[in-house]
Amino acid sequence: MIECPNCKHQEFVGTLFCSECGGRLVHVSPMPTVNISREDIEDEAQATRPKVPEGPSLASGALLGLRLLSSGEIISLVGRDNFTLGRAVEGQAVIPDIDLGRYEAYDQGVSRIHAEIRLAEDGVFLVDLDSINGTLLNGRPVETQQPLPIRHGDMLQLGRLRLQLISRIRAER
Amino acid sequence: MAPSGRDFYTLLGIPRNASTDQLRRAYRQAALRLHPDRNDNPNDTELFLSISQAYETLIDPGSRQEYDQQLAETESKQAGKASFRAQVLQSRQSLLALDEPQVHYMLLDLSPRGGLKHVRPPVNLAIVIDRSTSMKGQRLDQVRSATLEILRSLEPNDSAVVVAFSDRAEVIVSPDQAKDLPAARARMSLLQADGGTEIGQGLRLGLQELQKNFTREGVNHLVLLTDGRTYGDEAECLAMAGSVAEHGITINGVGIGGDWSDRFLDELASSTGGSVLFLDNPKAITGLLDGILGTLSKVVASRMQLDGSLSQLVDLRSAFRLLPEPTILGDTLPLNLGNMPQDTPIRVLLEIVIHPIGQVGSLPLAHLTVSGDLLGPSAEQQSLPVAIEIPVSEQPDTEPPPGPIAEALAALALYRMQDKARHEAELGQSSQAARRLESLATQLLANGQRDLAKAALNEAENLAKSRRLSTEGEKRLKYGTRALLLPARAGGPNLDD
Repeated sequence: MIECPNCKHQEFVGTLFCSECGGRLVHVSPMPTVNISREDIEDEAQATRPKVPEGPSLASGALLGLRLLSSGEIISLVGRDNFTLGRAVEGQAVIPDIDLGRYEAYDQGVSRIHAEIRLAEDGVFLVDLDSINGTLLNGRPVETQQPLPIRHGDMLQLGRLRLQLISRIRAER
Repeated sequence: MAPSGRDFYTLLGIPRNASTDQLRRAYRQAALRLHPDRNDNPNDTELFLSISQAYETLIDPGSRQEYDQQLAETESKQAGKASFRAQVLQSRQSLLALDEPQVHYMLLDLSPRGGLKHVRPPVNLAIVIDRSTSMKGQRLDQVRSATLEILRSLEPNDSAVVVAFSDRAEVIVSPDQAKDLPAARARMSLLQADGGTEIGQGLRLGLQELQKNFTREGVNHLVLLTDGRTYGDEAECLAMAGSVAEHGITINGVGIGGDWSDRFLDELASSTGGSVLFLDNPKAITGLLDGILGTLSKVVASRMQLDGSLSQLVDLRSAFRLLPEPTILGDTLPLNLGNMPQDTPIRVLLEIVIHPIGQVGSLPLAHLTVSGDLLGPSAEQQSLPVAIEIPVSEQPDTEPPPGPIAEALAALALYRMQDKARHEAELGQSSQAARRLESLATQLLANGQRDLAKAALNEAENLAKSRRLSTEGEKRLKYGTRALLLPARAGGPNLDD
């Protein structure tokens, strides 16, 4: 089977248009979509970058992801090149791209607009956006509004909420 | 060859590479259905005899081999002298060796062989008009004047009859009166709207009249104009259409307004190789009838049919005629393709599913036969065998699909979205249907179809308001998206030569 990139509908190999959304499937690989197990990717990551602190890679097509240390759940960061992190509250004018509300962000002291992850040409950057309880990168406080390069495996702490960056970008800084 | 012209494999409905087991099973099923002890229909007995003969020939390896050889010879001979040409395009140049099903598309262009002299064939036409109460006013007025317009443009060899029906049917203009315009006009003015809609009545009388003037040299065609739905006689109508299709009579349906049953009319027309036209504005009817007559006068062959068998591991999922008129053809062979025009090919799109094939070098997909009657004094049946095969490889084919196929499938995707949305609306999943219509509208806009996109959005709104589609809107979408199947370069040069 192959998967429609638009609506994730499964189609037989050889199909040219998605029967669900009408989207064209020509640019999708003519080979069937294969599910690679997480261990395979992890093994590969270990082989290419053995020194990086342990962290799983992403199953989906995303370049970046955040793993919640408390639950192991992974939030994929797709479709943009900067992502604000925070929690959405009803009636809030500016809502963050990534709402951490359902991970008990309030109890953990995450601000409504807490930090930003920026995907730039020369790497991935973390910016603290004047959060109340501050941001830590690998245990060290981050100066506010100051972009800091981050890479695969780095630990981010927003308030007390701990996240690990998962990145497919392997460029050395 | 069996007397009907179908080869033994087609007769039994099995692939050419069928196993002995398959052969036995097919024969047993046919026997259960057709054995004279169970079945009184004399034609079926004859069919049963040919099937028995087919079975006996094929079950013995020696005689099967002999037959295969003979079949190959006959087919190459037929191919040599056939007056048709068939060109096949496939969506991929090679299949993938996979152990999962895959989809494949074949586009067939059937056209008369060059050098075939075209003379305008005599047209034998029946116009069957719904005169039920709902036709009152502008609708019937327009039908009346359009019909007269058609009678005026007939040529001396043509014949035409006008039948009107409500709960019963009568001949309004007889073939003799049709040639005498003042008389025809006087007769047409008697046509008044009154009563219900019983399509069976009109169809029966129309076909009877058509058969009286039946011409082997020309085209025999019935146009059914209706704005309502018939109750209880659908099956009878379909049976009538099926039996006249064997004689090469085609039926076009014209639906006016929103309250006619498009599914019934579609089935009726496509079983004869005809098509259905939707008319949201009665004023367009003159042009429409004129178009039908124009098409008929360009016909070179009638009773065109695509028959044969698909290989083992191959199933027909759906079939569409894209040219001359876009029509949904169903999913079982034989497919009735109606008349073949002189200047445009009959273009058929076949969507097939190929079951896991594993490791083979190449796969025969189908052994098809294109058959039809050349019009003219000799009126002979012609058939052209078409064998389709495709290589199988480990590597995916990276070539983009041929333009005409991609184009047709893009349009088909839109048609199918509309169909799905309507289905969902009927099941009561109105929010899902509305969402689908909205994304259909987006796609239509991207294709420059502003009016259709608007219609789709209107229907999405209707769904939100009343949880259902408007009867007229659903038809506008259906026939609007279906019309997109018509290739942009219709009538242009052939596929790749």
